[in-house]
Amino acid sequence: MDIDFPQGSTPSLRAALERARLERAARRARPAHKASPTAPFPVAAPMRPRPLAGGAEAVPSPPDAAVIALRRLAYGPRPGDIAAFQALGSSDGERLAAWVDRQLDPQSIDDSPADARIAQSGFTTLGKPVTDLWIDHVLNYVEWDDHIQPFVETVLLTFLRAVHSERQLFEVLSEMWHDHFSVFANDFAIAPMFLHSDRDAIRPHVFGRFRDMLEAVTKTPAMLYYLDNSVSSADDPNENYAREMLELHTLGATAYYGSMAPEDVPLDGEGRPLGYTETDVIVAARCLTGWTVRDRDWDPDFGSTGEFFYYDPWHDHDPKTFLGVDLPANQPPMQDGYDLFDIVCEHPATGRFVAQKLCRRLVGDFPPQDMVDAAAAVFTAQVDAPDQLRQVVRTIVLHPSFRTTWGDKVRRPFEVAVGMLRATRGDLPFERFDPATDWFRWMYYQTGQPRFEWHPPNGYPDVKMAWTSTSPRVMTWRLANMLVQVEDDQDMPYLDLLGETPAGVRSATAIVDHWSERALGHVVEEPERTRLIEMMAQGRNPTFDLPLDTDTDTQSRLRALVALLFMAPSALWR
Amino acid sequence: MDLTRRGFLVGCSAAIAGLAGSRFNTVAFADPGGGADILIVVFLRGGFDGLSLVPPIDGADRGHYEAARPSLRIPTSGPGAALSLDAGFGLHPSAAPLLDLYQAGHLAIVQAVGMSDVVNKSHFDAQQFIELGTPGSHSIPSGWLSRHLAGTAGGGSVIMPSLAIGDLQPTSLLGSTETVNLANPASFDLDNGPWLWRSAQRTALRQMYGDSTSWLHDAGLQALDAVDIIDLNVTEDYVPSNGAVYPDGQFGDHLQVLAQMIKLDLGLQVATLDLGGWDTHEGQGDGSTGYLADLLADLSAGLNALYTDLDGAGASAYTNRLTVVVQSEFGRELYENADRGTEHGYGNLMMVLGGSVIGGLHGTWPGLAPGQLVDETDLAVTTDYRRVLSEIMIRRLCNSDLDSIFPGYTGYSPLGIVEGIDAPIGSVFGDGFESGNLSAWSSST
Repeated sequence: MDIDFPQGSTPSLRAALERARLERAARRARPAHKASPTAPFPVAAPMRPRPLAGGAEAVPSPPDAAVIALRRLAYGPRPGDIAAFQALGSSDGERLAAWVDRQLDPQSIDDSPADARIAQSGFTTLGKPVTDLWIDHVLNYVEWDDHIQPFVETVLLTFLRAVHSERQLFEVLSEMWHDHFSVFANDFAIAPMFLHSDRDAIRPHVFGRFRDMLEAVTKTPAMLYYLDNSVSSADDPNENYAREMLELHTLGATAYYGSMAPEDVPLDGEGRPLGYTETDVIVAARCLTGWTVRDRDWDPDFGSTGEFFYYDPWHDHDPKTFLGVDLPANQPPMQDGYDLFDIVCEHPATGRFVAQKLCRRLVGDFPPQDMVDAAAAVFTAQVDAPDQLRQVVRTIVLHPSFRTTWGDKVRRPFEVAVGMLRATRGDLPFERFDPATDWFRWMYYQTGQPRFEWHPPNGYPDVKMAWTSTSPRVMTWRLANMLVQVEDDQDMPYLDLLGETPAGVRSATAIVDHWSERALGHVVEEPERTRLIEMMAQGRNPTFDLPLDTDTDTQSRLRALVALLFMAPSALWR
Repeated sequence: MDLTRRGFLVGCSAAIAGLAGSRFNTVAFADPGGGADILIVVFLRGGFDGLSLVPPIDGADRGHYEAARPSLRIPTSGPGAALSLDAGFGLHPSAAPLLDLYQAGHLAIVQAVGMSDVVNKSHFDAQQFIELGTPGSHSIPSGWLSRHLAGTAGGGSVIMPSLAIGDLQPTSLLGSTETVNLANPASFDLDNGPWLWRSAQRTALRQMYGDSTSWLHDAGLQALDAVDIIDLNVTEDYVPSNGAVYPDGQFGDHLQVLAQMIKLDLGLQVATLDLGGWDTHEGQGDGSTGYLADLLADLSAGLNALYTDLDGAGASAYTNRLTVVVQSEFGRELYENADRGTEHGYGNLMMVLGGSVIGGLHGTWPGLAPGQLVDETDLAVTTDYRRVLSEIMIRRLCNSDLDSIFPGYTGYSPLGIVEGIDAPIGSVFGDGFESGNLSAWSSST
């Protein structure tokens, strides 16, 4: 756990914080699952719910690897996905390895159906170079809808890809990296340029090298505006980005030594400071002075194209010392920044921090410490490998604990919504100004996880505690009810549940078994199964055929049932 | 009924179902906190400009204020003049509804409050520090209100001890599993499914979440119970008492929902809601009119309506048990900028409203002369915000376990903002629940 020593804090506060630090250090010596390093901010800091008085926690045992993989590493199964997974080998381990290796090489996966589906949505901004985004949506913008069009299309594109793309792990990890390098994108300055962040900074490096993603993100107008590095100069350095980069993107708050003198920070076995101080924050900011955006048409030095721009007169050319490393004066353009990235990426604290976040996303709120350690070791050892992150993810997925842990995480609203569309083959348009899409977005917004709209820089919370409070719970349930009823302008449902129910499946039992298999990847277990069958049978013999083809009330009951399947506890475990 | 502290609502469903349409106070639920107050925390997100709400109207500081804010200053005479408070301070004319409360002695304004140990001008950090209750540190895994509830939340005999209005729970209630969280009661229901099967669906949902016991099942039951409570009791045709009129818009709606919930006597002890939009870097308005004036009018009319609605006699005298705190993450600079706005500052005022409040101006005014400002631009902090909240905790919420609520905070003494008894620090005399639970929380992280 981190304790920050604010500058100017009083001796009594510091003494109290120091006590707390010692207590936490003592706790860290306890068994691994209790000692997981936590994210720097409490919204991401997991806390086990207080135990029920006298009650036992009934968390289900881990399901088949197919179900685990499709729920954690994908947005849930589409029809056929489970069977395809099971055909990949003769044991769970073999099948999981084969599945993930294919997913880790997304270019090997033909995704032309998804591409064709995306092409139908009529997006016009996706291919625009940065300068065109700037000209069309910033300089020449007339109306708000046009101004934010690149942002809105990125959101719709994100849903479409999550639903339709075969490269599921790539999409899941894109979500994770957007949370890691989070910006509030529905913002006047950022919305026109955010598409560039997604397309050119996050996605090209999902299975690549972390340092490349870090550098690319740093150079995006979205991040340069969001955390103010665009106005940071030698005369007036702005620490906002540098601070969050160290705390949220790289070393993590556990490596923060506050106002301690840099020379007092303890060293690791290789003579490297264990963490960074306030001084290092300021030096990091100085390293990045002059990294800005061409957004001043009145200034010929800048121009106005919306592109990243290094403005040498704003750069601090003095010598610097960062994390104990001396950077000479007057380095070549941007070299201070490049050195900064190299130093933080090689530091083991960054490997630990990033590994922890990846494991928390892919496995559980309290991932096994040996899994985190293994992933961190690969991260640091492969820091220069062009497929560093691919190796890290592979290490996590193929770790023995990946298949033996379950039930320590809840699916977030995005996963539920996308999973439902996948299981039902629902094909919402995801077009701008489409009424059904707008209705969906409005309902989805209330779940608390609108995409790319988390205000602070730490990304959407990734712990169950945040998503099990009553508002996201109820609003996600409502979203399921909305999805089973949303219709096109011909009153045809987008989720064709009747058409998707095979001809032989007509009894309440058969219907529940069929749809639970599609929703969950397996027939729902008791006692939930009985409850669902009772709901569908409504007093009839559950093995008798229901008049599903002719009776509209039975058809609407099917809709209520499928919504219910996605509201059930079984659909939410991860 | 098998109630647990975590699953405060679990098991209440039978009671709730049996009460369809009726009021909960007909049931003898135990009084949660030995007569403790209901605390409402209104967070003004964005850094609100206290110097516009309560400007100096007299003396040397008036001169500093006018010089620093040539276009934003609130005049002392003529149209849009400040309303007179005390001691050389005025009230923004848009906040007239607060003047009634102030003159009646129900409103305390504490000047120059903030985080005394930490100067932090990031909205994000400052809000987190304040709401965690640990300025300078992000590491504690629970909010200050969560830790208060953990110490006193009624031992499971309460239907709804805590209500957070918003999409997700605020950081002040981080980790609180007894809190009901909702953004809009009008859409907080499960009635949007296929209409014929709404009831069957809801029955099945309750069965599935009730069939087993886990953090997920409990959370589901809690959500279902919360839906039942809101469904059965929060009506569209609510008529506020005493002719109270809530302002149009989300803030007024949220306050009205709070008043409804309080009147249901569900054992509510803590509620949070937000009013945003205070980050006025530009276009703040022209003194008495414009953007900020409208926002202040919304705030003031809302607080006045809430107080009026909850005022009464006998069993309806909710204001006697009501304490409303209004705070923001920091103030704004004394000097206006070139865009008729103000930049992030430091010290700011806090307001405390309630029937047991000792009305008037409180705290120590540090002055606006150049040498009295922090960093040459900002109002200083002379009162730590935890001092204000601690007094309310001790005197109104019957919880003096400051070590748990505000770890690391020392040197507390009451300012005399609210009436009440000063218990020895470190005790809880609500239901005697031990404060040791907090360490059990922390040790699991």
